[in-house]
Formats: sequence, C-alpha cells, structure tokens
Amino acid sequence: MRWMLIALLALGGLGQAQSPLEFGELYSKTTIRGVEFSPKLQALAGKRVVMQGWMAPPLKPKLDFFVLTKAPLATCPFCSTAADWPPDIVLVIMPPGRSAEPTTKRIQVTGRLEVGIKTDEDTGFVSLVRIYADGVEEVR
Amino acid sequence: MSRSVAAVCALALTLGSAWAAKIAIYPYDGAALLAGQRFDLRIEASELKGSLKGYRVSLDGQPLTGLEQTSQGAGQTEWTLRGTFLRAGSHTLEVSLSDDAGEARKSVRWEARLNPRLPRAAKNVILFIGDGMGWNTLNAARIIAQGFNPENGVPRGNLEMETGYGGMATVTTSSFDSFIVDSANSASSIMTGQKVQVNALNVYPANLKDTLAYPRIETLGEMLKRVRGASLGVVTTTFGTDATPAMLNAHTRRRSDYQAIADMYFGKGGFGLPLDVMLFGGSRDFIPQSAPGSRRKDNTDWIAESQKLGYTFVSTRSELLAAKPQGKLFGLFHLDNFPSYLDRAVWKRPEMLGSFTDMPYLWEMTQKAVETLAQNPNGFFLMVEGGMVDKYEHPLDWQRGLWDVLELDRAVAWAKQYAAAHPDTLVVVTADHAHSLSVYGGYDYSKQGREGVGVYQDAKFPTYGDKKDPNGFPLPDTARGIAVGFAATPDYCETYRGREVYKDPTISDGKGGYVANPEVCKEPGAFLRTGNLDPGSAQGVHTADPMPLFAFGAGAQLFNGLMDQTEIFFRTAQALGLNPYLEKP
Repeated sequence: MRWMLIALLALGGLGQAQSPLEFGELYSKTTIRGVEFSPKLQALAGKRVVMQGWMAPPLKPKLDFFVLTKAPLATCPFCSTAADWPPDIVLVIMPPGRSAEPTTKRIQVTGRLEVGIKTDEDTGFVSLVRIYADGVEEVR
Repeated sequence: MSRSVAAVCALALTLGSAWAAKIAIYPYDGAALLAGQRFDLRIEASELKGSLKGYRVSLDGQPLTGLEQTSQGAGQTEWTLRGTFLRAGSHTLEVSLSDDAGEARKSVRWEARLNPRLPRAAKNVILFIGDGMGWNTLNAARIIAQGFNPENGVPRGNLEMETGYGGMATVTTSSFDSFIVDSANSASSIMTGQKVQVNALNVYPANLKDTLAYPRIETLGEMLKRVRGASLGVVTTTFGTDATPAMLNAHTRRRSDYQAIADMYFGKGGFGLPLDVMLFGGSRDFIPQSAPGSRRKDNTDWIAESQKLGYTFVSTRSELLAAKPQGKLFGLFHLDNFPSYLDRAVWKRPEMLGSFTDMPYLWEMTQKAVETLAQNPNGFFLMVEGGMVDKYEHPLDWQRGLWDVLELDRAVAWAKQYAAAHPDTLVVVTADHAHSLSVYGGYDYSKQGREGVGVYQDAKFPTYGDKKDPNGFPLPDTARGIAVGFAATPDYCETYRGREVYKDPTISDGKGGYVANPEVCKEPGAFLRTGNLDPGSAQGVHTADPMPLFAFGAGAQLFNGLMDQTEIFFRTAQALGLNPYLEKP
C-alpha cells in the first residue's frame, strides 16, 4: 500500500489550531428517538478538527467524498441498501477538484467540522457529521 | 436462385414461432393457492410486433372480465386484475393475442385448495423463525446447551424446540428465480404458499418500475385478519422492517423499502391490514427524518401516531414488563438491530451496547405479545424471530449466532407451555434458510490456532455449562469448546475463538473487493484462510441446505417428513381449518 499525503496549502489550513475528536465523543447518547450530538461535538462545529479512523468501502473509484469509520468496515453503506452500518460515521468531503486515494490503512483527517443532518443530492446519502477536509494522510 | 428463395421461405416458417410475442402470466403455471386467497392477477405481453390486433383471456373457458390494460413501453402490454381469488379446484387460464407477427398463446394451470373445518382446529398460531437456523446450526446450539456425559458419550438432552413435539419435518427451499433463497422470499413462501423472487416480499414478478405496485399475494396472516378478525403480531431482535418481520403484511418487490414497510405495518399500503403487536428494534424507520439517525424521508412520527391509534408504546424492558396494553402494543427497543444475546446478557461491553442497557429478552417479548394478542377472541397469528442468528452467521461470528438460538429456544419453551394450556394454539418452529456452518471437532482453548482443534477421539467432550450466566445458559468461556467452520467464506483470518467486541471478518480493499480484516489477523493463533466465494464477497452466504421444523399443539401432526417450504403455508392453513372461500368476514 503506497503512502499517501494530501496537504492543501490553498485553504490556509497549515498552522491553524485543530482539536482532536474521537469517535466516542460524537454523541452523548443514542436512544430509540435518534442520536444526540455531544456538547463537545456541538462546540467544535465550524472549527478545525483532526480525527483518526478507517475509510469505508467507497462508492466510486474517485473519491470526492468518503466515509470515515471507527473500525475497519466490511459493509459498504452505499452498495447494499440493506447494509447495516454503525451510526457513528463521519462523512469526509474532499476539496473541489481533489480526490482521496482508497486505502485500507488507518488514516488521519483534518478539516472543518460540520454538524447536522444533510442529504447528498447525488447519492441520497444522509450524514449527521461531516468534515470538509484539508488534509488526509495514512497513519504510520 | 429459385431454390434458395424456397429455402429462405422454409426458414422463415420454422422461425415464425421465434418472432411471436412473449406472454408471462402470474400466478405462474402450477401455482397452488387456497380457494379464496386474494391475489393480483397479471398478464404481461412483450416483444409485440407492430400493433396488438386482438386478445382473448379466458378462465376455465369463460372470458375473464375486469382486466385493466396498460403498457409499460414499446412492444409491451399488460393486463391486471387486482384482489381476485379462485374457487376450489383446478383452473386453466388461457391467453391468446395477435399482432403483426401472428398469434401467440399461453396457458397456465392453477390449483385452489379447500380445507375442511376441523372439529379441533387451531385458532392461534405462534410461528418461530430462527433466521439462518439450518439443521447444523441447531445441532451446534444443542451441543453447547446440553452436551454429552463425558463418562459414556450419551447426549445430556435436547433443546426445548426438539422436545415433546407433535410433528417434525425437514424443509427444503427455493426461489422463483433461483434455487437459493434470501430471508424475504423465503418468508413470503411460508406466508403465501408461492415461490417468490429473491429480495421480494409477498408479490409475483412484474415488469413494473414501482416496487410497491407489484402483484400482491395475500398472506396467511392477512387472511386470518380479513376473514376471521384475528390479531397479528411480530416480535424480533432485528430492526423491525427487516425481511422476516415484514412477512405478515408487507408487499413489495424490494425488501429495502423500509419506510413503506413501516407504513404497511400501520395499514398504509399493501392490503391495508395493520399489525396489532410489534416488538423489535430499528426505530430509525419509525421516527421523523428530522431526528438524527432516522432512515425516513418524511416527517411521519409513528411513535406519536401509534399512540393516537390506540397502541401502548414501550421502549425499554422495564416499560415492556410493566405495560398493560389493550390489544395493541408497539415496542421499539433499539435504533437498529439488537446487540446479540451474549452482548446483552454476558459481555455487556459498552462498545456493543452503547446507551441500550435496558433491553428485553426474546422470551419476554414473546410472552407479552401473546398475552396482548390473546385478548382477541377471534384468534391471533404471531411471528417470533430469532433474527440475529443470521446476522451473525453472515460475518462468521458463530458464537453470537448460536447463543441467539438459545435465546430463541427459551422463547419456544414458554410458547410450548402456553400451547399446552391453550389447546387451540399451534406452535411451529422452523428456519427460513440455512448457513454453511458445521461442527467438525472439539477445541482446546489452552492452545492457539489450528493446534487447538481435536478431531475424532481427540475432540473429547465440550465443557460448556461448567459456568452459567444469570439466565442459566452456559458461558462461552470454558476449557473445551467446539471447532466450527463455514463452507462458504470470503478471505478471512480464523482464530476459533469468539471476541467480546465484534469485528468484521473482512474489510474493503478499496477496489470493490474484500480482504481479511488485518485487526483479526493480529489476534493470537490467527491464520489466513483463502475464501472460496467471489472476491467481491464480504461475508458468508445462505445455503441450499435443508432446515428443521418442529410443531406443537393443535394440528402439529400435519407437519411430517420432507416438505417444500411452500407446504408450511398449506399445513398451517389446514391446522387452522382456514377456508377463506367459504368463511365470510
């Protein structure tokens, strides 16, 4: 697996502070009435964060966005409509014109955090937490 | 020259039939139905040449009226008759049509069965489905639950479902379009007596784009409700709109129409007959899209709506046990699937349970469902599914799957007692399909990897049951276990051990294929097994292996020998003395 690094100076991302965010910190609790965003997640909305996780099976060969998961995942959230995937996933959106390389290695994503329900018009994919990435790299 | 023209003409004559229009008729040729069982009749003509000049549809020699004619596209014509039924006996439907290429004909034969009303017919049915619980899976669960006397090798006993039955059968499966089934069309066969396409629920094939408009077949549950005014209930440990729980009243070509299935449960769509008791997971299909985690595309809130409709709503074990519902009960206990029995009762790892720490057991849901449904003097049909058996066999996690069989067995034990005290109740326990699980030896947990496998005399005897959980089930943690394998696998790493925090056996390689999960391959004793399924497979699959069936109570003796799955429908109807043609609502 070749090592991959995408650093984007254009966004002025370098040198900015970024808050680490863990998968376990996304939601305060999940009930039958839905998930509740944690206070930490809500406080970081709109700010730069850094998260580590795994790239879920991709929807297409060129990834202008991908799903970041807590553990390596076999099921592709998009491939099978019946696929069950964990609620604690983060949608990572690549900058316009840039795409991520599919990888099975653990990765680190930095970028601006967005919180709230959003439906992707092309795929119908519903996300609760998104990172507009300015950096994606394999964790060595 | 003239000879070659003659040859061309002769060729044209022999090929003439190949140019004729194609005709498909549903119900398909050879279909058996109950007399009076409702269905949508559909005739589809395709590859029509030029214009349709004329057609004739006759049933038993008489012109069939009331057909709605449509066209899905060029060269296609369809005729539909919704909500029709057959009188008892054999029937022939003939279709002939003519277009520019000439005449095309097709005829199909149907049989409509009649049931005599028995003096001691069943009034209530409790159908247990172990999803993916083939004979080998059941066998493995029995070895864990009962085991053997190590002094002489005598088995210590059977599972509850294998004890005291009045009928026992081996069941074979197949689909309309393949000889392997999925949970949706398999459940449909049990509920309608028809062969159905993979991933379809209680519908015949069609050329339609709208999956919800496919030709519906009335289910046994719907007939009982329509004809006798019986109550319907569904209990499962999976998400509620999954294929098996959808068997009672969902009608769609696509099992993943989750929102539509949730609506059908409340009588919106399908044949419009709601379920009276629902206890399961998967609240995400019942909460409005504005709630984070919802899977709906609208703002329907079935939790609120259900209570307006007179359902008692519960969402925890404590609420369920305390509830005193009046005939209608709606319980949602998880946003998605239940964690497995081992997760809920033994390991209790926060990574697996999250906030869901007050969840009912399957036997508790079964009991409350029956007590609620039994308030209806007209009888009830309840389907209880051990749904996570299959969900964990797919990723080869046999420990979680088998302990969920034990949970189902405890629910069967309660239902057997109920049937003994209520002689008008039939209990049927079966599966919808098998998985390729097999026990081929013992396993010595003091060793690692392949070193721990003992075969023949070295298998010795499992020591499960030396330690028990609060429910009296054996703990998975013991000195000697079983060596379990699956015949159909992707590439994965085997350790012969369970794990308290679930791991997928494979991960995506990012190119459409799957590789063994490296996190599993790092575990002690792990070794790589090259898969034998298509490289695009992430997990194990359903098999063509036969499945067990046990029946208790009224009409149990009707279930005997080797039977096709569709026959479960007819035997259950027989046990009920159900005759929708003669019984009027």
